[in-house]
This record gives sequence, C-alpha cells and structure tokens, in this order.
Amino acid sequence: MAGRFVLPALVAALFAAPLWFMLTGSLRPAGLPPPRTLELWPPEATLDAYRRLPELMPLFRYLANSAMVAAVAVPLTVLTAALTGFGVRLLPPSARRKAVVALVVVLLVPVTAVWATRFEVFRLAGVTDTIVPLLAPALLAVSPFLVLLYAWSFGGVPDSQLQSARLEGAGWLTVWRRVALPQVRPATLAVAVLAFTFHWANFIDPLLYLHSGDRYTFPLALRFLLLLNPTDWPLLMAGCVIATLPCVVVFLLAQRVLLSDDPLAALRRGRP
Amino acid sequence: MTRAKGERSLSGWAFLAPYAVAVVLLIAVPALLNVGYAFTDHTGLTRDPQFVGLDNVRRLADDAFLADSLEASLFHVALSVPLRLLAAVGLGLLLAAPRPGGRWFRTAVYLPTVVPDVALAVLFLWVLNPLYGPLNQLLGLFGHPGYTWLSDPTTARVGVVLMLLFPIGEGFVVVLAARRLLDGRLYEAAALEGCGPFGQLRRITLPLLAPVLVLLAVRDTILTLQVNFVPAYVLTDGRPANATLYLPVYIFDQAFEFSGFAYAALITILLMLITAAIIAVQLLAVRRWRVLR
Repeated sequence: MAGRFVLPALVAALFAAPLWFMLTGSLRPAGLPPPRTLELWPPEATLDAYRRLPELMPLFRYLANSAMVAAVAVPLTVLTAALTGFGVRLLPPSARRKAVVALVVVLLVPVTAVWATRFEVFRLAGVTDTIVPLLAPALLAVSPFLVLLYAWSFGGVPDSQLQSARLEGAGWLTVWRRVALPQVRPATLAVAVLAFTFHWANFIDPLLYLHSGDRYTFPLALRFLLLLNPTDWPLLMAGCVIATLPCVVVFLLAQRVLLSDDPLAALRRGRP
Repeated sequence: MTRAKGERSLSGWAFLAPYAVAVVLLIAVPALLNVGYAFTDHTGLTRDPQFVGLDNVRRLADDAFLADSLEASLFHVALSVPLRLLAAVGLGLLLAAPRPGGRWFRTAVYLPTVVPDVALAVLFLWVLNPLYGPLNQLLGLFGHPGYTWLSDPTTARVGVVLMLLFPIGEGFVVVLAARRLLDGRLYEAAALEGCGPFGQLRRITLPLLAPVLVLLAVRDTILTLQVNFVPAYVLTDGRPANATLYLPVYIFDQAFEFSGFAYAALITILLMLITAAIIAVQLLAVRRWRVLR
C-alpha cells in the first residue's frame, strides 16, 4: 500500500507544488507583508492582480500575437512531423534504421550552436522582426522526437493496407492522408499538443528576432513585466498563470495518450 | 515487385526531403557558418566581416569572464545531469506500473515541463525569494533560517539546479515507454528465483534499459550545457559575480549585447568541443562499467 500509493502521491504533490505556489502567489493582495510560515492559501485572496495586468500592458495584444504564431506554427509542425514520419515508414527496414539514427543525431544538435549564425541568415534574408523566423522550428518539426513519435505510430499501419490502397491507384500523398493519418489520431493529438506547448512558450526566437513592441509574444512580454515591476509578485505570478494555463489545459488533453499505462500502444490506437 | 519496392522507397525519401532541406538550411549551414565567422572581426552590426586569423583564439586565453563562464557551466553539468537523470529514471520506474489513478500521478510529474521557460524562471524568483518565497518558509518549518538564494554565488547555482530538476518530462516519458517494452516474464522468473524488487531493478530493469539510459544521459548533458539559457537568463542573468554566467548566456551576451559576434561564434565552437568531450567520457565510462560487470 505504502509503496503503491503513498510515495507516488508524495512525488505528485512535490511536482505540483510549484504550480500551486504560482497560483496562490497571484491571489495575494499586493503589499501584504511576508507570510510568517508556509502559506498554503493567502489571506484575503483576490483577483486584483488579474485586473491590474491589462491596465499595465497591452495584455490582449500580446496574447493575440502568441495565439497567431501558434495558429500557424502548430499545423506546420504537425504537417512536417507527419510527412517526415510517413517517409520513414515507407523506407525498407535497413534504410529506416539509418533514418532513425540520423533523427537521433539531429536530436543531439543543440540549438545554441546555431543561434547567432541562424540569426545572420535571417538578417541577410531581411525577415527579422516578422513571424517568419518564429516558424523555423516548425519546419524542423520542433524536435526529431515528434518525427520519431509519428514514425513509431505509422509503424502500426499494416503494409497490406498501404499496398492495396496503392494498387487502387492512389498516390502516396493520398495514402498518407486517407489511410495512414486516420489510424494514428492519438499521435496527431500528442504531436499537436507538444508543438503547442513549444510554440506558445518559445522565448529565444522572439527575443532574438522581434524588435517592435507591438509584435511581442506573451513570453517576451512577461520578461518585460519582470524588468518593469521586479517586486510586484502578485502581478508577476498572475502573468505566469496566464502564460502557463493554456499549456496545462492543452496538455491535459494529451495525457490520456502520452501518460497512459502503455503509451506506445496508445499512440497506435485508431481513436484517441 | 522489386520495382514497386524501389518506387516505394524512393517515395519515402521524397517524403523526407522537405525535412532534410530544413535541417541543412537551418542547422547545418548555420553550424558551418560558425566556423567561418570565428576567424573574422564580425560585430553583427555590419555586413563586411574582415578575416583576422587567430585574433579571437588569442582573446580566449586571457578572458576572465570566459573562465568564470566555464566554471559555472561545468559546476552546473556536474550537479544537474546526474540529479535530473536520477529523477527521470526513478520516477519513471516508480510510476510505470498500472495502478488506479496512475495517469494522474504521472500527469503531476509532467506538469512542470509544460510551464513555459520564462514563467518557470519568474516563478522560481518567487519561490527562492528570501522573504516571501515558499522555499525558505518550508525550511523554516524545520527550524532552518533559510538562504538568500540568488544573492550568494553558490546558492544561486544550486537554485538554478533546483529549478531545472522540475522540467524532466521528456526523459520521464521515454523511461515510462521503455519500461513497458520489457518482458514481464523475466520478472516472474526472477521472482520465482527469489529475487526481490531491488534485485530485479539491478539485474533486469537497469541492464535492459541501459541503452535508453545512455541516450538520455547524452541528451541531457547537451540540454543542460546548452539549453539552460532561458531560465538562467531570466532568473539571474549571470549574476551574482558571474556565478551563473553559463556559456550560452555568455555567448548570447557576446553575440547580441557586446557586438562580439565573431567571438561568440568561436565560443560556440568551444562549447561544442566541451560537450563532445564530456559525452566521450560518459560513453567510455559506460563501456568500462559494462566490462566490469
């Protein structure tokens, strides 16, 4: 009993704790003196910080910018990952192994290695301060991890189905769209969710490429909020909650697949 | 039949082509450009970099900030990678078994991973705040006076390590999935032989998971060395006294704040070499360990 539930519950509580403190921190009235002991719920909890936030900065503009980037980048990421993953599926086994190894190698390339010079490439192309550089990670499917996820899932589509659709005269793109994709809906859900959490949270690319304040995405705005009000904790925590909430909500949709008892089988199941 | 197979494999490569082009344009070309820029005087502001030979390499030798930066990065890797790996593997194995509500325990562990980097950093500014922060209050419950976390070099580094112990979701999910692939019959046989849970862990689970663990260790070394930029940049921005001026933060400063673009390119190459060296040592150690067993 202890091993089966008590320890997992303690661990779960430990990992949920920072989010809890984020929420309660945002509900503290501004200017309250420091709590004397561990404060699990603030006295006189208030939503005041959430009211002040849009007065201090164009909150909805930033949120709209972030939503816009996500609306373009997430489908692009899913498309790239799904096409590439299907490509891996079509290869004969020996070539497939090589492709998987290549993807793992790309997984090991750090982003920092290409920051500065990638910036130079985009500067020479004259697209800094636009949404274009923010879409670059989407063209790379965010991470080879997402491609591998699709490659695994397409592995569950029987060869016979692919071949018979092909014999009926369908092109491979049609086979991909009509036969393969509908069988890996859980994978599509998982990839879309992971892509959303990446693009919504992306900080480095907007920091490097966006100069005009009216194009800032929300993570960038949160940092400027920190620079302007470094000690207004309820306000900052409210900003954190707003930044985090969409990711948490969206992730809760995917946990059924990614964190089920057998995630690898769940990915291949026809319906999420 | 072979023609159909050849056609199919060709189509496979065609599906992979857009991704390959993106990898070349967005990763390979910029990575190579680093080598080119490292030997110029490029500032990042103009368009006509001049070749200056080994000037930047000489500059490396007597750059006190770089020495601080190296020390900070190595301290961080030495502490953070083992702890993160231990947490991801330990929790993955602890929570892999099906149990009522099991998914919710796993979800709780994964949640900090979906918190955006910036929000995580701002949150930890609050958690580590000496007066208001929950962490010092928690220590207070045990009669400890607490620390002035981010104002002291050592505790600031520990604070960053602590913060990055929470977003371990990727490794955690990989361990969960890998654990499910192990054959249940092995465990039944081991139990019949009188092998307890710890014996099973040591003799079955860990050896069979070894390849996955090595991959996770290598990947985490890279992540930890190079991608801790955002949290560190927002949390401490290199302070106090350069204690958290990790290499990526210094590279960013040089490239985009101090107009030292070419120098930043050289430090990037240095960082890659250090990463490769650490990974080589890890792989050698693993081989050694396997031979010994």
